[in-house]
Amino acid sequence: MDLIKKTNIDFVTNRNFFLRLSIMASIIGLVIILLPQIPGLGLPKLIEPGIDFTGGTQTTVSFANTATSAEQVRGALAAAGYTSAEIKSFGKDGDFLIRINDIKDEASKVSADLVQKLNAAFAKNGEKAVILLGADNVGAKVSAELATDAIISLIIATVIILLYVAFRFEFAYGVSAIIALAHDVSMAFVISVLVNKLGILNLELSINSLAAYLTILGYSINDKVVVFDRIRENRERHRGMPLAELINHSLNETLSRTLITGVAVLAALLVMVFLGGDVLEGFAFTMFIGIVVGTYSSIYVASSFLIWYTERVKHKNVGSVAHTEA
Amino acid sequence: MSSKNLGKWLLIVLPLAAAFLLLWPTINYSLLSSERAELEADTSRTGREALARWDADNKEAFESARAGRLKLGLDLRGGAYLTLEVDVLKLIESSADASAVDDDFRAIIEETRKATDNSDLDVLTVFLEKFRARGKKLINYFPASELTEQAVEDKLRRDASGSVDQAMEVLSQRINKYGVSEVSIQKQGARRLVIELPDEKDTLQMRELLQQTARLEFKRVMTDRNLVKAFYAIDQAYRNYKSGVVAPAAVDTTVADTAKKDVAAAADTTKKADTAKVATDTSKGPKDPYKGLSDDEKARRIKAEYPFSYMIFGAVAANEQSAPQSFDMVGLKINGITPEQLPEAGIFSFRIAAEKLQEFLKILSIPQVRAAMPSDVDILVSANGQASKPGAQPEAYDVYGVARDADLMGDVIEDAYPSFDNSNQPIVLMNMNAEGADEWGRVTGANIGKRIAVVLDDRVWSAPTVQNKIPNGSSQITGNFKPEDAMRLAVVLKAGALKAPVKIIEERVVGPSLGEDSIRRGLTSTGISFALIILFMMAYYAIGGAIADVALLMNILLTVAGLAAFGGTMTLPGIAGLILSTAMAVDANILIFERMREELYAGKSLKSAVEQGFSRAWSAILDSNLTNIAGAIPLMVWGSGPIKGFAITLLVGAIITLFTAVVVTRAMFQLIIASGATTLNIGQKRTA
Repeated sequence: MDLIKKTNIDFVTNRNFFLRLSIMASIIGLVIILLPQIPGLGLPKLIEPGIDFTGGTQTTVSFANTATSAEQVRGALAAAGYTSAEIKSFGKDGDFLIRINDIKDEASKVSADLVQKLNAAFAKNGEKAVILLGADNVGAKVSAELATDAIISLIIATVIILLYVAFRFEFAYGVSAIIALAHDVSMAFVISVLVNKLGILNLELSINSLAAYLTILGYSINDKVVVFDRIRENRERHRGMPLAELINHSLNETLSRTLITGVAVLAALLVMVFLGGDVLEGFAFTMFIGIVVGTYSSIYVASSFLIWYTERVKHKNVGSVAHTEA
Repeated sequence: MSSKNLGKWLLIVLPLAAAFLLLWPTINYSLLSSERAELEADTSRTGREALARWDADNKEAFESARAGRLKLGLDLRGGAYLTLEVDVLKLIESSADASAVDDDFRAIIEETRKATDNSDLDVLTVFLEKFRARGKKLINYFPASELTEQAVEDKLRRDASGSVDQAMEVLSQRINKYGVSEVSIQKQGARRLVIELPDEKDTLQMRELLQQTARLEFKRVMTDRNLVKAFYAIDQAYRNYKSGVVAPAAVDTTVADTAKKDVAAAADTTKKADTAKVATDTSKGPKDPYKGLSDDEKARRIKAEYPFSYMIFGAVAANEQSAPQSFDMVGLKINGITPEQLPEAGIFSFRIAAEKLQEFLKILSIPQVRAAMPSDVDILVSANGQASKPGAQPEAYDVYGVARDADLMGDVIEDAYPSFDNSNQPIVLMNMNAEGADEWGRVTGANIGKRIAVVLDDRVWSAPTVQNKIPNGSSQITGNFKPEDAMRLAVVLKAGALKAPVKIIEERVVGPSLGEDSIRRGLTSTGISFALIILFMMAYYAIGGAIADVALLMNILLTVAGLAAFGGTMTLPGIAGLILSTAMAVDANILIFERMREELYAGKSLKSAVEQGFSRAWSAILDSNLTNIAGAIPLMVWGSGPIKGFAITLLVGAIITLFTAVVVTRAMFQLIIASGATTLNIGQKRTA
């Protein structure tokens, strides 16, 4: 089978438009979701950090009576003294996630107590009304450490990727790759936050969802390196060809590989989105978005930025050389 | 087959063999555990016997498979995970002399707590800084044997760094007592412990267990013949308990004994009550009630009649110096020997086989059984079993009769540390506070030549013999220790001295229903995804795709095998890492095939198209995998749990991709060409 014929699509003429559009979109997206985080503005918060990063206790329970509503649960919990509990339905009918953030030392007792109180409130004929699916209790210290560790390791990983690409290709390639990666992760993040807010999937920010973002980074950098590699090869082969044309040529040559790999991986992820269950679906969805965005950004962000950056720097250099000579 | 081709075959076959070898424990474990589960489902008597036989036959294989298998993380299997932290500040606070504590001291403690609560700073260092900033002297607040600042600081530092080891010893003992087999306890960093439990149902009880403070006691060891009597009384009480008979407060052993005595007299057995010689062979007994029965039936009857004492091996020595003679509790009964006929001055000792430990402790924990025991005696088991060789599984545990009331509580201990005596034997040194020293002097004075047990949470850690009266509380415990035994005993003794509480700072519980459901759905969807990719590759690249699929399966197999070999755990983030490394392996083959097609379209021969395809795609494959490896290393080093899991799988997967997707597929292509093929369908357009 050979579906993708030799192409000669013009990817570069409108590069500045796409580059500006992409960067603007990710910045506007980030502003929309980050602005409400600033206290005092009174905007409704969009990001839902899990207790991994806030600390507190999170209990997931399943009601034998699947018709139980969130309101009933809230009422029962308020009666038991848990007025600040946040209740969210997830997964099957009758499954709820109960989160309490403002708990200090005795967090680990809360989940057991919750289940007991709910059982007492909903029990009929002595049968168990509620079963505990899972409980997470994270102390403030641990959550602070998880967040710091995640940020530090991500920053170091980014710097090392930049250095490696700069070393194997050129500095400009490293910068272009990092700009594109930042774009991919922010777009995937913005879309995941909005989808979570709409309540379609449970995509709250947890230490596990970080792994999905890391996968996006890995896939996206792989995609960029493949394109850069072709540019590096073609530069030797077609000496004297203007950079924009060279890049366009390379993008066309790698297009069939880009699309085939992308489609194969996306199809695999789609299976997980629909069949993966509570645990894998959110994870796979974020990766799916990231891979679509990452494939796009190899062409329109990384390559466009590379041309812009190289031309601008070259211009400057030529200018300064001319200046010294004069 | 030429030797060149043999090398290529080996490239394909050897890694597969290696992967199978590394994954064998994992495969074997799942085979054995499903076999065991089948037996376990049969709760009839024959079923239970079959299970016991199976356990005896396969114990070693099962244990070694379990140790070497690829573990599943909590998120994929259910269970609980707890992180505990030792409260070093509490430790500092409680080691201060209570009478010296003033407002300044309390203020410093408070400041230190604020500064260290949400950071990973070293608590003692922060405390000392704040302490010195106020110009305070440690010797004014802390008791010490040597009154210098440095000595006090050293002791505090020793205590702080030892407190995690101590918590670990205390907690392991409690958990083992509880009989949860698959619990793992690991140290994490300077003051944390991570505990993983396989079953979420245990967490509530476990939590209580973990947050108790340790109870260390000194108790006199009983070595007289009355213990034998107590053991028989327990047999009786347990039989009654099992058959539902309400036992009287204490079993009237005298009646039973008198009856037995008559039997013994009638049988006119020859025995000398004043020597330590006791009949040991049950089969030669004059009135063997089990005569003529098969061994199995005999064992069953003995177990039914003596459900407690059949487990116990006794030994008796005439005095401290003489060699002990061993005897069998059931054998005594069969031969009609009553406890009263045993040597009165004999020193008795008892032990049980390691595999009976849980059964033994279970019987002892039943209230009705405890009620039947003499009111002043408690029966305890040693904390550590004896093994035939160092590092082996313990084979036997000592059983001790001790005074029910403690002679002294462990909180009088000020310090304990391992050392060496003049002949360079490991010993443990122990100091007590003034109040404890007085009491200790009285206790040791009254028990010269007798043994005193060091008991932590109802398990005996050591039972040294008192050599002489110890007047000042500074004692020296000698024994047949190895240096690490001395170290552990010192840690345990300090558990009485240091009240370093542990607090749970992180807890994750995944209920079995969620765990089961998530693993089933996760595995199914992951399987379908991989199948989809495999079919896609075959459809799009025909024979080339099939070759890539072989390499891909090998890749997954080797990655998982690599994880199992490094003792890794498969978690959800790990699956993400596996997805990424698989995607990159697929991508590597797609890159190669697209290149080959380009070359074929340019009219090259198959051989040169294959060579060009591999050599031209190589730089892209190498760079993209190396970039990911470079990115994964910092995540592995600085990332916490889940991120680390992701990075390890990605790292292993990327390295293996370089091998399978390039080296192995290339070998397969070359083998095809060597067999004489000049055309190969890799899904290219027909160029007819």
